[in-house]
Amino acid sequence: MPSSGSQVQASDPQTIELEQKLAVQSIRVFLQSKTSYDVLPVSYRLIVLDTSLLVKKSLNILLQNNVVSAPLWDAQTSKFAGLLTSSDFINVIQYYFHNPDKFELVDKLQLNGLKDIEKAIGVQPYDTKSIHPFKPLYEACVMMIESRSRRIPLVDQDEETQREIVVSVLTQYRILKFVALNCKEIRYLKRPLRDLNIISTNNIMSCQMSTPVIDVIQLLTLAGGVSSVPIVDDQGKLINVYEAVDVLGLIKGGIYNDLSLSVGEALMRRSDDFEGVFTCTEDDKLSAILDTVRKSRVHRFFVVDTNGFLTGVLTLSDILKYILFAES
Amino acid sequence: MGNLPSHPNRPHHKQSPTMSQNVKDVSMVDINEAMNDSQANDSDQNGSSVNPSNLTQSLSKMNIDDSNELTPQLSSRKSTLIFNDDFDETPSQHKHIEHQNNYDARRNVADNEDEDEDAVNNIITDRSDGSASSLSPESSTMSSGEQGRTQNVEYANTSQEGFNKGFSENQYEGSAHQSPSIKEQQPQPTPDRRPAMVPVEITWQQGGSKVYVTGSFTGWRKMIGLVPVANKPGVFHIKLQLPAGTHRFRFIVDNELRFSDFLPTATDQMGNFVNYLEIVSPESMQMMDYESNAQQQNQQKQNASNLQSSDNSVQQPQQQHHTTAPPQVRRQPSQSKDGKLSARSQLALHIEEDPDDMGNGYTRFKGEQQSKTDYEYTQDIPAVFTDPSVMEQYYLTLDQQQNNQQNMSWLTPPQLPPQLENVILNNYNKNAEPGSENNSGALPIPNHVVLNHLATSSIKHNTLCVASIVRYKRKYATQILYAPLQ
Repeated sequence: MPSSGSQVQASDPQTIELEQKLAVQSIRVFLQSKTSYDVLPVSYRLIVLDTSLLVKKSLNILLQNNVVSAPLWDAQTSKFAGLLTSSDFINVIQYYFHNPDKFELVDKLQLNGLKDIEKAIGVQPYDTKSIHPFKPLYEACVMMIESRSRRIPLVDQDEETQREIVVSVLTQYRILKFVALNCKEIRYLKRPLRDLNIISTNNIMSCQMSTPVIDVIQLLTLAGGVSSVPIVDDQGKLINVYEAVDVLGLIKGGIYNDLSLSVGEALMRRSDDFEGVFTCTEDDKLSAILDTVRKSRVHRFFVVDTNGFLTGVLTLSDILKYILFAES
Repeated sequence: MGNLPSHPNRPHHKQSPTMSQNVKDVSMVDINEAMNDSQANDSDQNGSSVNPSNLTQSLSKMNIDDSNELTPQLSSRKSTLIFNDDFDETPSQHKHIEHQNNYDARRNVADNEDEDEDAVNNIITDRSDGSASSLSPESSTMSSGEQGRTQNVEYANTSQEGFNKGFSENQYEGSAHQSPSIKEQQPQPTPDRRPAMVPVEITWQQGGSKVYVTGSFTGWRKMIGLVPVANKPGVFHIKLQLPAGTHRFRFIVDNELRFSDFLPTATDQMGNFVNYLEIVSPESMQMMDYESNAQQQNQQKQNASNLQSSDNSVQQPQQQHHTTAPPQVRRQPSQSKDGKLSARSQLALHIEEDPDDMGNGYTRFKGEQQSKTDYEYTQDIPAVFTDPSVMEQYYLTLDQQQNNQQNMSWLTPPQLPPQLENVILNNYNKNAEPGSENNSGALPIPNHVVLNHLATSSIKHNTLCVASIVRYKRKYATQILYAPLQ
């Protein structure tokens, strides 16, 4: 493992525990000392969508630009108007599935009509909280955890016109990667995950390859903020995952008549650069987990036992929550 | 491992001239890997890492010429404004000329600026005068356009902010500042294409006992040891000769990879925190010394009369900027060389960074008297601008001297304004091949002349897509807005 400097020698549990505690506290200090602005590259791009765009066109734009979400801009009021994420498309699918006669409406749906869809299917609308880029990163993380969202828009005001500027959007993944890249302390996080009590093991939903994709999409909304559903075989061994972002590929081009497909068939639409399913065991350490975050675009770890059976999930927000609040 | 193959046993070579082209790749290298690499080689670093030639004394032209202590800040600030282009050397040259255009335009708009404008601004206008008069006629058309105006405004902002605040801190806290000069005792250069090296002092002031610096200039492999500064515990420094462009680096302090809080920081495409420095290219100085020698003689003949007509310039060549009429520098522009663009840009560079070696045995540092008599301002337009036959003769002579492949290239104007040949959004698609690590939307640092411009793609499916690159504090945000046609 390419951790820098000398490897820490294995020592007794008390020392490991103390080291982990100090390391987490030090990472927290780091998060407090840096701002969201610091995470941004020197030069970067940001895709912004006008709220009067058609939903199906905005989907193509997201796919074309290889992004899964984009801030919305209301040209009428010159204001930031929330984020377009995969959950919006899931809502539209659900709406269409329950109202197959409304194809005309879905086809002509504009982004500013998404709120009506949310109402129609009774989904709690996300309150998109934004934060100023120069607020400490720690605050941005806390805000993300509290609003149960995976990303937070950075909004500033133009000095002259006093209008809002969407500066960028930070995700949990980018923040954790930033931590993994810049905090050397992560190598002291050597306690096994099992002891940290951060793995969700209860009520892990799963599906099988033959499950209709619409049922899986249902699961994605039901659990309120689940970003993926693991796919297991008959015995319960983990074989794949259906992610919320896979929905984008499914309804590409505004076609909603593939909803009868099974998950297995729907996965064939996935693009080639899929990073794969990341797993870990309860004996793994946060240092290794964050090392993987540093190297790969991973959004969750499925916890499996030695035989490959699914036992739990470790999401990025679980990790973030631990870093923000635990060991104090 | 990162995107670059690692060669742990590769012999350490000096900074390669093509370094700046590698920068993007380098940024993709995982810093931790790189550090391990270099640590593996630690033992043989200590002895060989400090190249004696790196320690050449930096004699800044500006420090010597100018009693004003703000001047070095100007140079460092300019570097961040101008030479932010780390992926291509050529555009970074012609950026300069656009820059000068802006000054020019700004000056025209604001004509005689207040006498009590701060010294930094004076220097700017001073320089703009120098180039304004000597730019080819097309510059005036460019600067009068909208482009010129928007950028003027912007520059006015940044210059004040930057000069007065950010860089004065840097300066006084003894962080790295660079001096755009070349070595004093420079051998008579040959017209070959070595990239010009700029002496840069890098300082670490946050303690430690063993401090090294590693960065894009060593491919993140080699570590260069810093020397403790006498009487200042915890302060280390090193003077490096670096090629122009953007350099990213970090410090290794007692085996810990760190970045300095006293230097500009940024995250690279991987999200690593790094320090960075942007260095003004004095490229033309070395490359063009040969030409300038030849030119010098040429000019001296041509300008002999001009010199005499300007009586006040002898005493105060540094404060020429307040003359209302565009003063004429005695130097001639127009070093047509390879490439249609480079002639103009090298010209601009040449004027901004006067070669220390003036030819004919004159060196700027040898005596101020000499340089004063050398730098005369005049109101007469050199014949090379007014008489087409002289101009043609001049270019033909240059062509012969150069003996280059692109004969007569100066006859054809460039097809596109140089800044349009390098659109970072078009570059992005190249970076974004599947599996690349670029998931934060990182782009190359834009050429400053494209800031605040509206770019657009052709309208497809009734959707308009416009983009604009703006500064957000010290970073560049490229916003791409998609909107339907009404």
